[in-house]
Amino acid sequence: MATHDSYDAIIAGAGHNGLTAACYLAKAGLRVLVVEKNDWIGGAAVSRSLHDGWTYSSCSYVCSLLRREIVRDLDLPRFGLQVIPYEGGATFTADGDYFAYHSDHDALRREIARHEPRDVDAYDRFSRTVLRQCRFIRPFLLRNAPDPTSLNVRDLQELLFLVKRAHGLGARELAETMRFWTMSIGDFLDEHFHSPLIKAHLAGSGIIGTGLGVYSPGTAYVLLHHYMGDVDGAIGAWGFARGGMGAISKALGDCLAEAGGVIRTGAGVDRFLVDDGRVKGVALDNGDVFFAPVVASNMDVKRTFLTHTDRDQLPADFTRAVERFKIRGSSAKLNIALDAMPSFPAAPPDAAFLRGDLHASTSLEELERAYDDWKEGHWSKTPYFDMLIPSQIDPTMAPPGKHMMTVFVQYAPYDLEKDGVRSGQNWDDAARKALADCVFDKIEQACPDIRQHIVHAEVRTPLDIEREVGLTEGNIFQGELTFDQLLFNRPVPGWANYATPIEGMYLVGSSAHPGGGVMAAPGANAAREILRRGARRSAKAA
Amino acid sequence: MERFDAIVIGAGHNGLSAAAALGARGKRVCVLERSSQVGGMAADGRLAHLVYNLSESEKRRLGLNLSAINTISLARDVAHVAIRGGAAEFADGRAHPNAAAYAQLHARLVRFAGVLAHLAEAPPPGFEGGLTSLEGLREIARLGKVGLGLKRLGKAEMREFLRVILSNAFDVILDEIPDGPLAGALAADAVRGAWAGPRSPGTVFSLMYRLGQGGEVFRPVGGMTAVAAAYAEAACRAGCDVRTDAPVARVMVENDRAAGVELADGTKIAASAVLSSAGPLQTMLLAGVGHFDVEAARRARTMRAKGSAAKLNLTLSARPAFNGLNEAQHAARLLVAPSAAEVERAFNPAKYGELPKAPVLEMVLDGARLSVIAGHVPTEPQGGWTKAARDRLASIVIDTIEPHAPGLAALVTNVEVLTPADIAEMTGAPGGHWHHAEMGLDQVLTLRPIAGNARYRLAVHGLYLCGASAHPGGDVTGLPGRNSAAQLLADGVL
Repeated sequence: MATHDSYDAIIAGAGHNGLTAACYLAKAGLRVLVVEKNDWIGGAAVSRSLHDGWTYSSCSYVCSLLRREIVRDLDLPRFGLQVIPYEGGATFTADGDYFAYHSDHDALRREIARHEPRDVDAYDRFSRTVLRQCRFIRPFLLRNAPDPTSLNVRDLQELLFLVKRAHGLGARELAETMRFWTMSIGDFLDEHFHSPLIKAHLAGSGIIGTGLGVYSPGTAYVLLHHYMGDVDGAIGAWGFARGGMGAISKALGDCLAEAGGVIRTGAGVDRFLVDDGRVKGVALDNGDVFFAPVVASNMDVKRTFLTHTDRDQLPADFTRAVERFKIRGSSAKLNIALDAMPSFPAAPPDAAFLRGDLHASTSLEELERAYDDWKEGHWSKTPYFDMLIPSQIDPTMAPPGKHMMTVFVQYAPYDLEKDGVRSGQNWDDAARKALADCVFDKIEQACPDIRQHIVHAEVRTPLDIEREVGLTEGNIFQGELTFDQLLFNRPVPGWANYATPIEGMYLVGSSAHPGGGVMAAPGANAAREILRRGARRSAKAA
Repeated sequence: MERFDAIVIGAGHNGLSAAAALGARGKRVCVLERSSQVGGMAADGRLAHLVYNLSESEKRRLGLNLSAINTISLARDVAHVAIRGGAAEFADGRAHPNAAAYAQLHARLVRFAGVLAHLAEAPPPGFEGGLTSLEGLREIARLGKVGLGLKRLGKAEMREFLRVILSNAFDVILDEIPDGPLAGALAADAVRGAWAGPRSPGTVFSLMYRLGQGGEVFRPVGGMTAVAAAYAEAACRAGCDVRTDAPVARVMVENDRAAGVELADGTKIAASAVLSSAGPLQTMLLAGVGHFDVEAARRARTMRAKGSAAKLNLTLSARPAFNGLNEAQHAARLLVAPSAAEVERAFNPAKYGELPKAPVLEMVLDGARLSVIAGHVPTEPQGGWTKAARDRLASIVIDTIEPHAPGLAALVTNVEVLTPADIAEMTGAPGGHWHHAEMGLDQVLTLRPIAGNARYRLAVHGLYLCGASAHPGGDVTGLPGRNSAAQLLADGVL
């Protein structure tokens, strides 16, 4: 028999943002229900065992952006969350050399000098600029984005905060900030560095997850988006969640359970129930119906309104704006079980940088060409990858002596071109295998024996990510991080404050400000907004 | 030593515009031009061939006779689209299915461009003096006016403005109309002369810049020479002394103040203000880079100015005939920009120093002379602009036109190929860039041409920029020159 229960708030989707919002609401005393279509929670922050003995962080794979304020608020370490920083990284060249990124500043300077003495001081200048921009932007992450067209007191306050911060920079810094936000990572790096290899190594963060090339204006901001996190206060550092990214979701889930929230997995939202412009609840695809005065969607804005909401409940211009919202699939993912640590002949024995992020794209031109291929609906023959072997640091990921490797691939189109037709449906097994082969060929530039060690490999195309996680086109940020979709424009102008035209209905996912990454800021901000708008525990709720 | 109040280096239209503005205020001005003709890119029709966003008041002031012309975006299947401002139809007179959507998009962009046009009419907003100073308050008032203009659009439109201004032309166009020659024409206008494809964020801004005066395209009666002449005449009427064949070798600086210039032949001319039509780096080099702080020099060096447009002048033995166009339609601006996707694709090879495979073209037919701007050529191709590279570019361009005008190749008697390198050489434009400096969001308004020097003045007292690299930017508008003169006077230099 179908269930019909009432709650104070229902969250559709148990991604990390949905869980975060649920935790805040439950801790505020609301009776919260989280519904999830998969049999597990976490959305794109999951640890899954697809091959016996190995654990994959099958979507997102490293951690840095998770806001420490939220970790503290929800006391996540008490629920088992442990983030282990990793140090360094490297880009391997075709001629058997490498550029190693060391977190030790002196070691890094020596390594840069080995490639290009002129770039040593340039790096310090570069990192100072990036750090300054991070400091500027971080306070905005946990605030609402001001609506510049509104004269409402809160928006004016937020706007004033922004103006004050901007004014505090001084004229010179303000100009620098405006420039940084609008330029391309390629131009920015060209201004600082001489070595193509060093530029290529640093450029990756500007393109990961986006449908832009290294020379597209706005990619410097994307770099910032990847740098503004921290691990234990070290800004820009990245780390592994012990036990995989699912550990974050698990901690959030346990926190929610302790606060009295309920999670139901295995049945997703079929329809948001709306009556006369007001949300009533959700109808699930298994027939269950749940009621609540507050319903928040962790799905992206397109999925929420174009697929699961009756169109006639929405203003036409809003629907139009949602249709125009750009969510472009641009990345794929390989998760690999290895029977041993593959060899990296170029690297010194036991090099610490092998425990970091590894790449094999050696020039900005190579990266830009990869983007050109993507625009035409192809994956690049020389793809950019961000590859890590977390089992070197986190023994829970693979059996002793064996290893787990995660390979993020940029650019893989969602609408793959085949015989002149571009469609997500073109991602069949043959295409999936061809993509994997292409990536392995490129990985061989770094570790030639990779293929011999593969025990199991999972290839996740943008279509697979869309199907499993529910991210439209498999876009990892729930929407492109371009200027026209950031701050007060995210997800659509006029609706940047998590509320929607349907009363009582909210967005808590990364489609909302400040955007994607395992940051939890949209979820926390949305919960704050929901509570501010007067959501409270009702006496008659079940 | 001869003495003037101000010297203007370069008699391009902006240099002349600056000179005229100073002359009109009773200043004694000398304009020094390196080449033997005035007008810069507008000099003789070898480079620029059309006028886009010259303001009405400027047209009246110059007494220019401009006629608005149609744009015809050529289609492979001969379903050419004739465009006039916001109106679009098929060239054979049939109604275009996307005409209404196009009209709406065009009207909206023109409306938005109108809000920005206020900003172009004066030096860019800036807060050098701090928000609380008198200057700061004046700036707030000015921005307030722009804000008011925005408010007048209404809330929904204002939101739309704030979204699209930062967006890319490709998405904004294709959100409204399906891809094809009509979308291609808009996409091509967004990136003409730019080192960017329509998918690059910020290209809506450059499109709006073009549409600042209503979005019509004008062909000057008498050719671009008439425009150059009108500017020169305005300068002369204002009492300016315009000298050609007078290359400036250096700007004389005394006690960090501009003192005049020295010509290549050693002649020295004194003045307490020097305005330069050249780019910031070239100007700093003329004055001696030691007068500027390292940071400013570094910014000038890294200013983005990669020329991406080549100009080809084809001399023909007879008038060519384009498929599907009647006699009168041959006088239109003809575009080869089959779709926005192809405009984007056309940019790809330039990024890697390769010649274009299917370039985007803008053509004007003048009797038996076909004037062609080929978009997205590399600033410097691999191996340089050798004769072979030029010949290849010429044949690529002719091959691109040939399907639309069968028999054209046989009519060509001479091709003049002007690459970005040539344009830099002929006009001094940094990098041979059509707009002297890329019109990206990181190089417009307060950031143009470089952060810290947006108000035309450089660190040497009395030394100003007055060319297209300065705010508001390229095209024949006369505004950088006029604004620069206004700023110089406001600063009390003279």
